[in-house]
Amino acid sequence: MSIITKKNRDLAFPGLIWFLVFFLLPLSVILVYSITERSLMSGEPVRFTMDNFIQVFQKRHYLIILLRSLRISFFTTIISILFSYPVAYFLAKRTKLDRILIVILMVPFWINYLIRTFAWKLILSDNGILNQLLMGLNIIDEPLRIMYTQTSVLLGLVYTYTPMMVLPLYAALLRIDDSLVEASMDLGASRARAFFDITFRLSLTGIFAGTLLVFIPALGSFAIPAILGGTDSVMIGNMIENQFNLVGNWNAGSAFTLSLAVLSIVLVLFYSRIFGLESIYKNRGI
Amino acid sequence: MMRKGKSYGLKIYTAIFFLYIFTPLILIFIFAFNLGEGYVFPLQGFTWNWFLEFFRDSTAQRSIGNSVIIAVISATISTILAAFLTVGLLKGRFRRPHIYITFLMLPVLMPSLTIGISALVFFRTINLPSGIPVVILAHVSISMSYIFLIMMARIESLPLSLQEAAIDLGASWSSSVKDIVLPALMPAIVAGWLFAFMVSWNEFIVTYFLIGNNTTLPIYIFSQLRFGISPKVNVISLLVTLFTLLVISVLLLVRRLFRRERYG
Repeated sequence: MSIITKKNRDLAFPGLIWFLVFFLLPLSVILVYSITERSLMSGEPVRFTMDNFIQVFQKRHYLIILLRSLRISFFTTIISILFSYPVAYFLAKRTKLDRILIVILMVPFWINYLIRTFAWKLILSDNGILNQLLMGLNIIDEPLRIMYTQTSVLLGLVYTYTPMMVLPLYAALLRIDDSLVEASMDLGASRARAFFDITFRLSLTGIFAGTLLVFIPALGSFAIPAILGGTDSVMIGNMIENQFNLVGNWNAGSAFTLSLAVLSIVLVLFYSRIFGLESIYKNRGI
Repeated sequence: MMRKGKSYGLKIYTAIFFLYIFTPLILIFIFAFNLGEGYVFPLQGFTWNWFLEFFRDSTAQRSIGNSVIIAVISATISTILAAFLTVGLLKGRFRRPHIYITFLMLPVLMPSLTIGISALVFFRTINLPSGIPVVILAHVSISMSYIFLIMMARIESLPLSLQEAAIDLGASWSSSVKDIVLPALMPAIVAGWLFAFMVSWNEFIVTYFLIGNNTTLPIYIFSQLRFGISPKVNVISLLVTLFTLLVISVLLLVRRLFRRERYG
């Protein structure tokens, strides 16, 4: 037994080494960039500094973008919870077609999100389908200016990531034993009380797992604000791209990137301490 | 299971939700066949012109070719690495496998942007030029984690005693892996390969930072969306969607076979 497990262990090394070299090492390289000045390859002596992080809070421009990104991702998460809760509840408790409906719901997830974002551009632009519809019905006289604003970015993010909220919520609701709700109502709880004290509370695991799957990618989103957003809806992702492709300040860019990475790692670790990691990967529906 | 009849509200809401999810896609497909350049209702008539224009577009063709090459190679490498990694980590002697598993979850849960930027900085630092090879390297480290998650679920149902029995009966360790463990993992290997293919095929952000002057399909679509939009993009979207549906069907078929085998 011990010889088998010892030999089996060696099979893990090629993958672990690959992971170390092409994932963890790159992360540590941006860590080094974020705490130094200038390029590592310039040949000059390396000087350590915390300025790259501090300037995020000193320059108004950066702070505005940071707060805006947090706000947009927060609302994306909240709206996706509100949108998907009734659907997840219906799928888990009120239908027998849940498996096939989940598969159907996941189809758009597999289609490139650039294509899905493109669809929203067609719908929301000034002479787009939504404005044509509303003006055709004489509800409005002037086209609504939604495209290239924070609203269009928010709508695009909600559309893209809401299915990721449905899955873990559905999984959490499915696990709830209906007899608990029945028992509480037999004991005199109103339907609303039974829902909030039992169903809602027990589904919190699903809400948190879904929050990870929606909030983190929304916060790090880059293509959706680039396509649907304007100058007032630049997010962290676009700011980071600018640092590398336009400004050429790798040290500041690395600091922003690392902050984003660390924030997501902290959220994941926090979640795994409370609920265990298994609940994330078992909820992913793959 | 009580109050079954009173869920009309929920039923209607769910129907609207599905409509919300699918209407944007259906709109794209309609305009792939619409005569006239603008996206205006009422539709102006039927045409195959945008399809012809797409088939004449050599950049689009080349980007599809590149995407397929990258997806096939990276899915193959990551499937091999992940299969051995899963066996080694979960059927081998590791002190604290949970720490490794937590780390391996990171590429799945971190924003792709951070992965793309750190890969860009890393490859520039060690002087590897941008292009298809470095995109493949980066895609492997992402899809390896996804496949690992898929295989982890499968390998939990495979007892170590099976491998022990084979060795007790005279098999060598390597043939116990080759003839017992890997065949048992086969459904997860096939599903994992398809999954990795789709992850790489759709991957935009990491590719965007690493591809250099070359192009893949998502990069091509993104550049089209930034300049005014031609209905050619609708055609590409339609074709990509049909292709995606094909891959999902194969994936579901594999899962069905795997389920039957487990209970059969």
